[in-house]
Amino acid sequence: MALGGGYFKTTYAGDLALVDTRLRRTALAALIVVLLILPRLASPFVLDLVAQTALAAVGALALNLLTGLAGQISLGHAGFIAAGAFTTAVLVENRMPSPLLALPAAALVGAVLGVVVGIPALRLKGLYLALGTLALHHVVLYACGEFQNHWGANTGVSIPPPRLGTWVLKGTTAWYYALTVVAALVLILSVNLQRSRAGRAWMAIRDREIAAESVGIDVARYKVLAFVWSSALTSLAGALFAYQRAFVSVEAFGFFLAIEYIAMIIIGGLGSALGAVLGAAFVTLLPHGIDAAVAGLRVPGGAEYYLFPLKFGAFGLLMAVFLIFEPQGLVGIWRRVRNWAFLWPFRYRPLRPAS
Amino acid sequence: MRTLSLTLFLLLLAVTSVPAAAQYRIGMSAAITGPASSTYAPTYEAYKVYFKRVNDAGGINGQKVEIVFEDDRGEPQRAAANAKKLGETSILMVNSSTSATYKPFMTESETGKVPLMFGGGVCPREAFPPASPLIFCSTSFGSKWDSRFALGFIKEQAGGKKVKIGFAAQDIPLSRIELEFAEQLAKDMGLEPIPVVVVPGNTPDFTPFAQKLKEAGADWVLSWALWHVEVGVFEALQRIGWTGSYLLYGHQQTQDELARLKAPNLNAFGGNTLFMENLPIHAEITNLVKGQTTHPAHYMAEGWVSAMVLEASLKKCGWPCPKDKLTTAMAGVSVDTKGLRGGPIEWTADNHYRKSTYYKVYRWDPAKTGIASVGGWTRLEIK
Amino acid sequence: MTQVLATTVVVASLYALLAAGYVLVYRATRVLNLAQGDMMTLGGYFLFLLATAAPGAPALSVATAAALSALAGFFIYRLLMRPMAGHPIFAAVLVTVTLGILLRAAIVLVYTDRIRHPLPLLGLVNPPRRLPGGAVVSTFDLLTVGAAAALFLALFAFLRLSPLGIQMRAAGEKALLAAQRGINFQLLFALSWALAGFAGALAGILYANNVRLDPSLGVLGLKAFAVALVGGLDSLAGVIPGALIVAAVEVLSVRYGDPLLADVSPFLCLLAMLLVRPWGLFGTKEELERV
Repeated sequence: MALGGGYFKTTYAGDLALVDTRLRRTALAALIVVLLILPRLASPFVLDLVAQTALAAVGALALNLLTGLAGQISLGHAGFIAAGAFTTAVLVENRMPSPLLALPAAALVGAVLGVVVGIPALRLKGLYLALGTLALHHVVLYACGEFQNHWGANTGVSIPPPRLGTWVLKGTTAWYYALTVVAALVLILSVNLQRSRAGRAWMAIRDREIAAESVGIDVARYKVLAFVWSSALTSLAGALFAYQRAFVSVEAFGFFLAIEYIAMIIIGGLGSALGAVLGAAFVTLLPHGIDAAVAGLRVPGGAEYYLFPLKFGAFGLLMAVFLIFEPQGLVGIWRRVRNWAFLWPFRYRPLRPAS
Repeated sequence: MRTLSLTLFLLLLAVTSVPAAAQYRIGMSAAITGPASSTYAPTYEAYKVYFKRVNDAGGINGQKVEIVFEDDRGEPQRAAANAKKLGETSILMVNSSTSATYKPFMTESETGKVPLMFGGGVCPREAFPPASPLIFCSTSFGSKWDSRFALGFIKEQAGGKKVKIGFAAQDIPLSRIELEFAEQLAKDMGLEPIPVVVVPGNTPDFTPFAQKLKEAGADWVLSWALWHVEVGVFEALQRIGWTGSYLLYGHQQTQDELARLKAPNLNAFGGNTLFMENLPIHAEITNLVKGQTTHPAHYMAEGWVSAMVLEASLKKCGWPCPKDKLTTAMAGVSVDTKGLRGGPIEWTADNHYRKSTYYKVYRWDPAKTGIASVGGWTRLEIK
Repeated sequence: MTQVLATTVVVASLYALLAAGYVLVYRATRVLNLAQGDMMTLGGYFLFLLATAAPGAPALSVATAAALSALAGFFIYRLLMRPMAGHPIFAAVLVTVTLGILLRAAIVLVYTDRIRHPLPLLGLVNPPRRLPGGAVVSTFDLLTVGAAAALFLALFAFLRLSPLGIQMRAAGEKALLAAQRGINFQLLFALSWALAGFAGALAGILYANNVRLDPSLGVLGLKAFAVALVGGLDSLAGVIPGALIVAAVEVLSVRYGDPLLADVSPFLCLLAMLLVRPWGLFGTKEELERV
C-alpha cells in the first residue's frame, strides 16, 4: 500500500497528476463505479439527496475558493446563487429557456457581480468584508423580489426542464448524473485552481497580505480574481438550482442559505476542496439524518409536535458541537483516521507536510 | 469525535431505509416550525388528532390511514425534498404551507401522478375551474374570491356612500398581488381606492405605514396578509387616532385577537365559523383535542375541514385505493362540514375549489362585551 | 413631520438597545454575535414566562426577566463562546448562528410559534400619548426611548467611572496587556455577554409589550447590526448617531419613498458607510487593519 508522498516524483507528468498512486486510482475507480450503479440500488429520494449534495458542493467549492483559499469571508453567497437563478428566470420569462444560453449568462452575471463586489472589497477585511457582502445579499434579494413582483412573475417563475436539441434533462436519475458530473468537474477545476499561480497567490494573500505583496503578488488583482471565479461558479450553481427545482422564488435565497454555505466550508475544513464536498454533504444530509433518527422514536400523541422543533434544535446543536470540538472540520477527522490506519501500530508520521 | 462520526454514519444508513406500505398512505408536508408556522402547525395537529380517532375506530373501509408528516418550515428547499420523499410512497400528498413551497409539490404530483391537496395554505389557481386534474384545495381562503367578498361587504356597509378604501399588503408576492387585484376591482365597483401600501413583514414600527393610509383619507382599510402585519397596521392606525373601519382576513388567531383588542371598528372575515358560536361540532373538537395538541381547539377548524374532506375521499375510493382511483373519487366528493363552514365542500371534474364558497364577518360588540357576527353567511358561486 | 421625527426616535431607540449588545460583545471578544436578535426574543419570552407564573406584577416580572437574560448571556459565553477562543473568528461567528437556532428551537418547544402578548397578563395597558407638536406614540414607545437613554447613560458611567468598567475598556483595547496587568479578562468577557443579554432583553421586553412576541422577532437584530457598523463596531458612543441615521433613512423611505426599500435601507446605509468610512462614524481606524 502506498500513499502519495511529496518527495518521489520522477517525471513532470507524475508531479502534475491529480491521482498519483495505485491505491488512489483504485479508490477513485471504486467511487465512480458506486456512483454509476447507485441509481439501481437507491430510491429516488436518496438519489435526489445525492443530487442536492452535489449541487451544494458546487456552491461550497466556489465559496471555498474565496474564503478558504483567498481568505475573503463572504456572507453574500446566497445573493450570488439568487443572481444565477434569477438570470435564468429572466431569460425564461423572455422566452430564451435554453441552458446553452442561461448557464454562461448566469456565470457572466456572477463574474460581473464579482467585480462589482470585489473592487470595493479591496478596502475591507475580515468581519467588515463579511458585513459588506451581507448588505450586498440584501440588495440583490431586493432586486430579485422586485423582478418577481413587477414583471408579473407573482409567486415565482417556473423553469422548464433544460433542453438540448431534442434531448430533455428530466427525472431524478438524469439530474443525479448531471449534477454529479458537474460537481466532479467543478471539483477538478477548483483543485487545479488551487495548484495554479492564482491559487498559490490566494493562499499567500490569505496567510499574510503584506508578505504576499512583498514577494510581488498583485494583491488587488488576485483578490478581485478570487471574487470573480467564486461568484461566477456560484451563479452557475444558482442557474442549475433553478433548472433542477424547476422553480425560482426569492424566498429560497434567505440569509440562512448564506449561513449554510459558510457552515459547509467551515465544518468541512477551511481551505480544502475535499472538505467543501464533505461539508456540503454534512449540512445537506444532517436534517434528513435527524429525521431518520427521530422517526424511530415512539412518543405519546400529544408530544409529537415537539419532535419538529427538537429536530430543528438538534441541527443547531450538532453544528455547535462540531464547531467547538472539531476545529479542523471533517477533513481533520478524515486525516486523523487515514493517518491512524496507515501508521498503525505507530502513532506519528515522520516529517511530511499536511496535504 | 469518533463516536460522533459513527453516529452520523448510522444516521445516513437509516435515511436509506424505506418502510413498506400496507394501508392508506398519505403524505403531508406542513410548515410545522418556522416563521409562518402559527398559521400552518394547527392544521398538522388537527390531522393528527382526526385520524387517530378514525384509526382507533377501525379505520376507513377496514383499513388504517397512515399519514407521514414532514416539516418544511415554509422553505422551498425542504419542501422539494419532502415532495420527493412523500411522492414516492403516498397515494395522496397534502400541503399545508406557504405558497413558496407549492411549486415543488406540483411538479412532483405531475411526475408521479399523485393527487395533491392543499389544506391550510391559500388555494392555487390550478384548483379553480378549469381545475388541473391532480390539484385540489380545501382551504377556506382563496385569492380573488376573498377580495370580491371583502369589497362587496365594504360597499354594503357603506350603504351607498362613496368610500375611500386603503389596502395594507405585506411584502410577499401573494398578498401584494391579491390587494393589487382588489384595488382594480374596487375601481370597477365604483369605490374609491387608494394605492396599495406594502408593508415589510419585518418592520419594527407600523406607524409610518398607518400614517400613509390615514393621510390618504381612507374610510376603510382592507388587509389580506399574515396576521401580525394585518393587526400591526390596525393597531398603529388606532393609535394615531384613525376612526375608519378595518377589514382583515381572519386567520386562526381571530377569536383570541378580537377579544384582546376589543375594537368595534375591527372586522374579520373568513370562511370558518368561530368557536365562540359553540356549535356541537366545536364541542366535539374541543373534547377530542384536549391534551393532544399544543394549539387551542379553536385553531383546529381549518385542518379539521381538510381532514373531513380527506376521510370522505378515502371512503369514496374504497379499498384497494390506488392513486388514479383516489383522484377520480376526489373529483366527485361532497362533504358536509357540519357547520364549520357555511356550506358543503363539493368538488366536480373541473372545479377542485368548491361549487360555492361562504364568508362570514365577525367583530367585537361592546354592547355584548363579546364577539358577534355581522350578518350571516354570504354565499358566492364559483364559476 | 413631527410624527416622522417621533417614529424615527422610537425606532432608533429600539435599534440602539440591540446594537449596544453587538458592540459590547464585539469590543470584548471581537466576535459578531449574530444571535443578538434571538437574545432579544429570549428576553421577551422570559417576561412572558414570568407574567404567566405571577400575573399582575409588572415590575417584578420585568426585573427578573432582564436578570435572567443577563444570566443567560453569561452562560452562553461560558458554555459556547469560551471554548471557541483561539478558533478562527468566523467559526465563532458561526457558533453564534447555531446559538440563534438553538434559542429559537427552545422557544418554539416551550411556547410554539403562536403570537403572544404579555401586556394583558402583566395587567398593563399601552395607551397612545400625544406629544407636543401633534405626534402620537404609544406609552411603550416612550418607555423604549427612556430605556435606551437610561441604558446608555448607565453604560457610559459604568465604563468611565467604575474600576470594573475601566478594566473592561482596557481588556477591550488589548486583552493581552490587560491580562498581564492582572485583569481577569475572562470575567470581563462574561460580563460583556451578560450586559449584551441584558440590553437585548430590554429591547425584547419592551417590544413584546408594545407590538407582539413571536419566535422570529430576531430578524430585527440583523437590521440593528447595520446600526452597530454605521456607528463603528467598537464604539458604544457611535451607536446613538448610527441608530438615528439608520432609523431616519428607514422611516423616511417609508413616508416619502418606496416602502419596500425600508427593508433594505439599513443595509444600504451599511454599504454606503463601508465604502466611505469602513470603520464607522466613531470606530477605531486601525481596527480595520487588525482584523
